[in-house]
Amino acid sequence: MIHRKDRRDRTDRLGAPVRAENYIASSPPGWQGQLGGCGIASLISLKGERIGGERITRMLTIMEERENGLGAGYACYGLFPDRSDQYCLQFFFDDEEGKRNVEDFLQGRLDIMHDEVVFIKERSTISPPYPIVWRYFVDVPENRVWRGDRDLGEEDYLVEIVQHINANVPNAFCVSSGKDMAVFKGNGYSYEIADLYDLDRYSGTMWLSHSRFPTNSPAWWAGAHPLSLLDWGVCHNGEITSYGVNRKLVEMNGYRCTVLTDTEVVTYLWDLLVRRNRLPIEVAAFVMAPSTYQEICLLPPAERRLAEWLRITYKEAFLNGPFSIIVGRSRPETTLIALADRKKLRPMIAGLSPDDGVAYCASEESAIRIVEPDARTWAPGAGNPFIAVAGKGVLRRGTEPSFQGVRV
Amino acid sequence: MKYVCRPKGHAHDCDCGKDSMSVVGDRAVIDLSLSATQPMHYTTLNCAMRKAMRQGCLSIELKGVMGQRYLASTASVPGLHVAVHGTPGNDLGAFLNGPTIEVFGNAQDMTGNTMNSGRIIVHGNAWDVTGLAARGGQILVKGDTGYRVGIHMKEFGESRPTTVIGGTAKDYLGEYMAGGTILVLGLGGGPPVGRSLGAGMHGGRIFVRGEVSPEQLGPGAALLPLNEDDEREVRRLLGDFIKAFGTEVHQDMNGYVKIAPSSSRPFSGYYDKTNV
Amino acid sequence: MIDAPSSRRLDHRLPERFMPTINYDLCRVCRRCVNECSYQALEFKESRVVPSGGCVACGRCIAVCPANCIEVRPVPPQFAPHGNWSERSRRSILAQASSGGVLLSSCGADDTHPPIFDDLLLDAAQVTNPSIDPLREPVETITYLGRRPGRLEVCDGKVIVQEDDTPLIRMDMPLMFGHISLGSISYNAQKALFMAANELRIVAGSGEGGLHPDFYQYADRICSEVASGRFGIKPEYLKGVAAVEIKIGQGAKPGHGGHLPGEKVTTMISETRMIPRGTDALSPYPHHDIYSIEDLAQLVSVLKESTEYRLPVGVKIAAVHNVGAIASGLVRAGADFLTVDGFKGGTGAAPRVIRDHAGLPVEVAIAAVDRRLTQEGLRNRVTVCAGGGVRSSADMIKALALGADVVMVSTSAMIAMGCRVCQQCHRGLCSWGIATQRDDLTSRLDPQVAAARIVRLYRAWNEELKEVMGAMGIDSVESLVGNRDRLRYRGPNPKIAEVMNVKHIGEGWG
Repeated sequence: MIHRKDRRDRTDRLGAPVRAENYIASSPPGWQGQLGGCGIASLISLKGERIGGERITRMLTIMEERENGLGAGYACYGLFPDRSDQYCLQFFFDDEEGKRNVEDFLQGRLDIMHDEVVFIKERSTISPPYPIVWRYFVDVPENRVWRGDRDLGEEDYLVEIVQHINANVPNAFCVSSGKDMAVFKGNGYSYEIADLYDLDRYSGTMWLSHSRFPTNSPAWWAGAHPLSLLDWGVCHNGEITSYGVNRKLVEMNGYRCTVLTDTEVVTYLWDLLVRRNRLPIEVAAFVMAPSTYQEICLLPPAERRLAEWLRITYKEAFLNGPFSIIVGRSRPETTLIALADRKKLRPMIAGLSPDDGVAYCASEESAIRIVEPDARTWAPGAGNPFIAVAGKGVLRRGTEPSFQGVRV
Repeated sequence: MKYVCRPKGHAHDCDCGKDSMSVVGDRAVIDLSLSATQPMHYTTLNCAMRKAMRQGCLSIELKGVMGQRYLASTASVPGLHVAVHGTPGNDLGAFLNGPTIEVFGNAQDMTGNTMNSGRIIVHGNAWDVTGLAARGGQILVKGDTGYRVGIHMKEFGESRPTTVIGGTAKDYLGEYMAGGTILVLGLGGGPPVGRSLGAGMHGGRIFVRGEVSPEQLGPGAALLPLNEDDEREVRRLLGDFIKAFGTEVHQDMNGYVKIAPSSSRPFSGYYDKTNV
Repeated sequence: MIDAPSSRRLDHRLPERFMPTINYDLCRVCRRCVNECSYQALEFKESRVVPSGGCVACGRCIAVCPANCIEVRPVPPQFAPHGNWSERSRRSILAQASSGGVLLSSCGADDTHPPIFDDLLLDAAQVTNPSIDPLREPVETITYLGRRPGRLEVCDGKVIVQEDDTPLIRMDMPLMFGHISLGSISYNAQKALFMAANELRIVAGSGEGGLHPDFYQYADRICSEVASGRFGIKPEYLKGVAAVEIKIGQGAKPGHGGHLPGEKVTTMISETRMIPRGTDALSPYPHHDIYSIEDLAQLVSVLKESTEYRLPVGVKIAAVHNVGAIASGLVRAGADFLTVDGFKGGTGAAPRVIRDHAGLPVEVAIAAVDRRLTQEGLRNRVTVCAGGGVRSSADMIKALALGADVVMVSTSAMIAMGCRVCQQCHRGLCSWGIATQRDDLTSRLDPQVAAARIVRLYRAWNEELKEVMGAMGIDSVESLVGNRDRLRYRGPNPKIAEVMNVKHIGEGWG
């Protein structure tokens, strides 16, 4: 169990004590994690064009039946073309003190190139208080990157900073930390969150979104999806029955679990497998949703050997139980990944606009049709990743054999 | 199954021994000073030795050995002679099964660990736990040995391990001994054996040239005079020793004592099997 | 020195513990029971079968009686009741006062330490994830034994598989048979175990008594044991098998050696152990080439050299109080798999004082090892096997969820063969032909029949494992291993839950 940050007493805009049900950066007392059902939707411009926030909002809100108002969120990629080489740390602060805490901590550790408030509508159907949402564009000072035996590159350094803040710095939570992207999320219905952040004002090459139906409350703003670390953004529908096992693997590799949800662990797994262990995306997807040994036996010898060794080596990364996930990253290329569990227990539909310009993935076909009536849609297979890259197209539809395109 | 020489994935055609081994006919010479990596790792040396064995070599000469462990472990080539110049590391000739290893220098600990058959000849000293659990073959040490030599030696049928120590042995010689023969000559002077001699022995025999007092014996061991069979065996082992090292040894059997188990079931009355 | 005759004088004779009772209305006086009782607890006298004392409740007479007319009754307490001075404590004192000996027993600790397994409850899927029907959808139990690389290297986008680096054994279920030596059990019993392991496609331990030439046909399912006695170790014993395991300790007698009494060292046993017939086969308490952890690394290394890195080399330890740190040392010493044998593990002979009082329950040991190895970033390098008191598939499943990759079983296999756990193995009179070397007794055990029974038992357990995994919404066993989130503790001492890192009942997840 991690030691959770102490929650300070807070007041709302009228100076009244905060209602116990509303938790933003600080986690609710005794937070044990959260589970529940969800809706997910995403889109990516294959031509690298910018798409406005209203489109993803329409995709997500049409699936209103999948949520119950206890959390929704969006991630936008290709969001800061002018500052695309700087890391954007976007925070929830419970109060000014949280902001001071973070700024004190960042002092000397990161070079803040620019910072700004993130717009939040003053009037909203969501009950206050609202967090202070703030973003910092930062560079990693050269002297902070340690290239010794343990090659601690700037990304690993940034991971340590973010994880430290989320575990230890009171009244603050870093919700996203990648380049050229940011996460907008909170406690409310999908349309309420879109309205709160006024998503129409943003546009990007790729959007991920998530609306949730948790089985419990109180809800926690920072615990809403997308979960993000560096440029990874993950929206997840379902429940990972192997959570305890997966968590051990990420903790063994130095990640600190602060949100205590399976989605958090899935986020760290993508970072571990793809960024740190450099597995190709298709291979990482196989690790998380592998074929059965019976199916593996039918593969050609080289693929069979690879598949067996992936299962053996990364057995703690196998995500068991029902899930469909949408994963985004901005580096090295803006990439959209969609993956369902190996038994296809959660829904996932992919679609392509008639001009092949925009690709979509969502829980329901309606989410695609509402914005793209003439889309061609298909269902990616169980445990079979869909991969699309901005500027390149759909690299993998999710219907191909496991290791197609992978060097074995 | 594919041949692997070390966990780092060397294949059958790995480079082990490439720079340091020369093979002429059935004779291989491995000069460790020629190795590109210094000191040569034991995995590399053992891999090179296995290559020589696979090529049918009957003689392997190692030059410049310095602490490399596990040399010739489980080697099973009949008639193979391994000459070791330098200081071999621990577990020299572990599980040895036939070949002869000759060390021109001192050996470290656990020489001949659990050996099955073959010979280990040390032209120097061999330290602690030499000949642990040997069940066949012969170990000849020209000089001194350390503590706990010949622990749990066994014998079965024709397999009967023998150990001859030219110098002295320290405490716990022949502990748990279940078979085989140990001969200690004490040639360099000083007490030939230490305390707890033959502790818990229930088979085999230890011959010592020189004085052994009853206080030196461990539980289960008894001090006895030599009978005719014993004298024959001592003479035979002396012959082996003299042949190996060319040293002359006094052959008067009156100067020897025998240590043997007082029972083959030393602890049979120790336990109470009552169904309580 | 006081030395009076210590033989059992009548005035110190202990009361009987069990009484065979014959229903003479039904008895056909076939005398089969008399002939079959290897403890000579029945005799034929004055034209009827009568008890003659010394019954151990092995149940053989009951099984062979064609008239079904024998009942073995525990004799009620014969001493005045006392809350502190139990019947057993008084019997022990009386016995030792007569013999002066160390009390010997066998099988696992039989004191009433409540098993922690019984205080653990399993989880199941409801609503938020679906349960799986294992009869109709795949639920996998394939398990690998050996070292794992931790990560695969990637070079230019190609994943490099260095298969030769890490030899692994594939098993159809997360189960292995513990090490039971030829000597402690009979040829037929060991043959049955090997046949069953072969059929089940799992691994069986050889025990430290060497390997009989007839059993090399099962070698690729056998893990040979290198213990302190070093019995029967020859090149093929190391090279020709599936895996090699160094035995440091045994759960039933941590820190203790082995002692096969001379009467069990028959010609066959002396051949496989390579020791003279009739001598006691002693296994020293420690390995005399291991006095420290770096010496263990040395023995691991010499075994890897000797097997040319083709086999996984494991280390087995008894569960003791510092087991977590020791386990981490084993992994750092190069062990490819480690086996933790719990306090309640079985034995063919052990001093009662150690068997009943030393060690750590396997449940806690597994959790401690799993947690420690995870903390040190080593857990995904090594296979953890654990056993010692696993009585049922439920225990097996809980052991897996606590963090064992493979569960080791032995006593249950012997019960499947006929053993009734009468705890007399050390006497060598086993009426079921299991823990004995007497030809007339060993011939009672048909290896074919016994193997078939073992196979049926563990197939059933594996099905039960699949049922539970399915109910939890887990379709492959690796997602159960170490998944302590799916366990809850409901016992008397929440501190146990805390050290095992298992939540208490009533504590949810979300």
